[in-house]
Amino acid sequence: MSALLIGMLAVPFASAALVLLIGHRSAGAGKGIAVGGEALALALACVVAFGRLGGAVPFGHTYASTAAVGPPIQLALYVDQLSAVMLLLVHVVAFLVQVYSLGYLEHDPRYPSYSSLVAVFTGGMSLVVTADDLWVLLVGWELMGACSYFLIAHHWELPEARAGAVKAYLMTRTADLGLLFGILVLGHRFGSYRISTVMGDITNGALQLDSLWLPALLFLAAAVGKSAQFPLHTWLPDAMPGPTPISALIHAATMVAAGVFLVARTYPMFTNSTSALTWMAGIAALTMFLAAVYALFSKDLKRVLAWSTVSQLAYMFGALAVGSWTAAVLHLLAHGAFKALLFLAAGSVIHAVGGSTSMDSMGGLRSRLPDTFVTMTLGFGALAGVVPLAGFFTKDAVIGATLQEALDGRQVWTWVAWALFASTIVTAMLTVAYCLRAWLLVFFGDPAPAAEGAEEPSWTMRAPLYLLAVPTTFGGIVVGYPELLFGSTHREELLHGVLSTVVTVLVVLVGIAVTVAWARRRDGDLWRPHPVPHPEVDVAYDVAVVRPVRGLAVLTRFYDREVIGGWVDAFSGSARGLGRVLRLAQNGNVQAYLMVVVVGAVAVAVAAGARA
Amino acid sequence: MPLWWPLLLAALLFSIGVYGVLARRNAVLVLMGVELMLNAANINLVAFDAYLRDALHSGQIFALFVIVIAAAEIGLALAIVLLVFRTHGHIEVDELRALADRDDTREEVRG
Repeated sequence: MSALLIGMLAVPFASAALVLLIGHRSAGAGKGIAVGGEALALALACVVAFGRLGGAVPFGHTYASTAAVGPPIQLALYVDQLSAVMLLLVHVVAFLVQVYSLGYLEHDPRYPSYSSLVAVFTGGMSLVVTADDLWVLLVGWELMGACSYFLIAHHWELPEARAGAVKAYLMTRTADLGLLFGILVLGHRFGSYRISTVMGDITNGALQLDSLWLPALLFLAAAVGKSAQFPLHTWLPDAMPGPTPISALIHAATMVAAGVFLVARTYPMFTNSTSALTWMAGIAALTMFLAAVYALFSKDLKRVLAWSTVSQLAYMFGALAVGSWTAAVLHLLAHGAFKALLFLAAGSVIHAVGGSTSMDSMGGLRSRLPDTFVTMTLGFGALAGVVPLAGFFTKDAVIGATLQEALDGRQVWTWVAWALFASTIVTAMLTVAYCLRAWLLVFFGDPAPAAEGAEEPSWTMRAPLYLLAVPTTFGGIVVGYPELLFGSTHREELLHGVLSTVVTVLVVLVGIAVTVAWARRRDGDLWRPHPVPHPEVDVAYDVAVVRPVRGLAVLTRFYDREVIGGWVDAFSGSARGLGRVLRLAQNGNVQAYLMVVVVGAVAVAVAAGARA
Repeated sequence: MPLWWPLLLAALLFSIGVYGVLARRNAVLVLMGVELMLNAANINLVAFDAYLRDALHSGQIFALFVIVIAAAEIGLALAIVLLVFRTHGHIEVDELRALADRDDTREEVRG
């Protein structure tokens, strides 16, 4: 089992190296290794994960350990129910993304580096979800940050791709400092960097309530950055110039899911720290609403989906904040399925209309892209929370948990819990509105000129859509039987009959309203594009961070050029000046030289005579 | 014969030689100055040899060496003067300044 586990982690990295070595020489071999390696990793992940679901005992193993001063840093892995479901999600999505990329990047000369980065990305996320040592987790965490930077900048000739990549890297990297310092604080406090040990100590230790507020807030900062929550939410939509399969990977399985996973993994620490939970609830309430409003007015299909990811991640954080671990993880899984589906379907739409992501260049694609239409409808339905689909059950579990918390008020400040509950309801309605708008704009109405000749892409791009449509459609069943996945330790009330009915009625009402707006529209869009008052976080970052750093850079350059360089120039200049003075003697007149010799000799003789 | 007579003669000859080397512009006359200085030194050597009654007469032998070296030197020097005249058309010593250290390497160093 331990060899199997480390093998599963090694396969993506090995295949990445092989693809880089071979892919540029033989395109076919490169593709084969990329997809085959991911298939092997998926098979190993299935073997590892299926044994750990349900009531199974978690598996932990220490491969190596340092004998350093202080708590030992160990290469330790740990697979419990949470790791198992995350492994399945990551590798299924990664495999489908690799298959999809065969078609999507068919003529892309950068395919080898792209697919090897996808493999490393997957390996990094696998490391995060199976790590038992906090430093090992940090390694995987940073690997993902680096890979996302490279993959967002895949089209590095586009300035917005470069800018988005730098922004994503800098913002998540800044937030990662929270994880680094949180690890140090935890290690100092508990004398161990093992997650299982530390969490066991917290659970059994009868700690004073809120005594762990510092590491909890630091970890929360890292999770907020990685999962693009307010106020670090702006990098995710700006990461959209990356290839669409990458967006699917980042949004569904890796990267942003890591933030939620980190909180879920270290959940005992957060339940101890009610202040961190209150912050989390507030951030989630604000983020889900804001992101939904942006999605409502965005013209760009991929940006609509990006903002919806931010909004749905906020649902997960909201559920975690109110103590509903199971609802959060289930929503993470369901979201992983339907968001991967949505991005891949959006990719085939974008592919079909020739690369434009604006919804102005789509429309009327229902009959031209029948497979994409069916699967994307299921995806939008799941995102909006339409009754039998996966998103409906998990989202209602989240909403029910927030209402429960608002009524009981055990962990979070009451008014924050109520704000969170109100925000989940309003956001659910907004979600329906923007999903329906995007669906109508893409698939109905008059086709734009670019959409006239749209055709379905090859089967490698359609098969992943249908495969992902299965969990999107039937995944909700698991809400009824969470003990199948998580055993009996995470028992929660996930089905809320009355509340679900009320939410469904609201969903239907919003749906009718949007449909009416569609029927009465005059030109292309359903409503005029209102400039949404954006909280000026980017401006704040600009003033607080970017400009001071630029100023410092100018100062540094000045110091380097004028002060350090000035010293160097002064030394060389003075040497040169001295040389110029001495050179005057070397005038080429032999008789002048001889005069100096004679005068010198006479002077020496006179001096010698004077002394004698 | 007192010692200071030949020493005075040597000093006068040497001074004339120094004057010739430093002040004359014609290369042949400069060489003649050099010869005068060498021979002034020879007079000194012979004078002290006699004055000190050296049994081995090393002063005279040394003077012979100087004469040989002076002959070789003048042969070489006149050949150089001849070549200078052929290439430059004159033998003015203060016009021959090709070996002056001029400030023309600065631009190359700065690149």
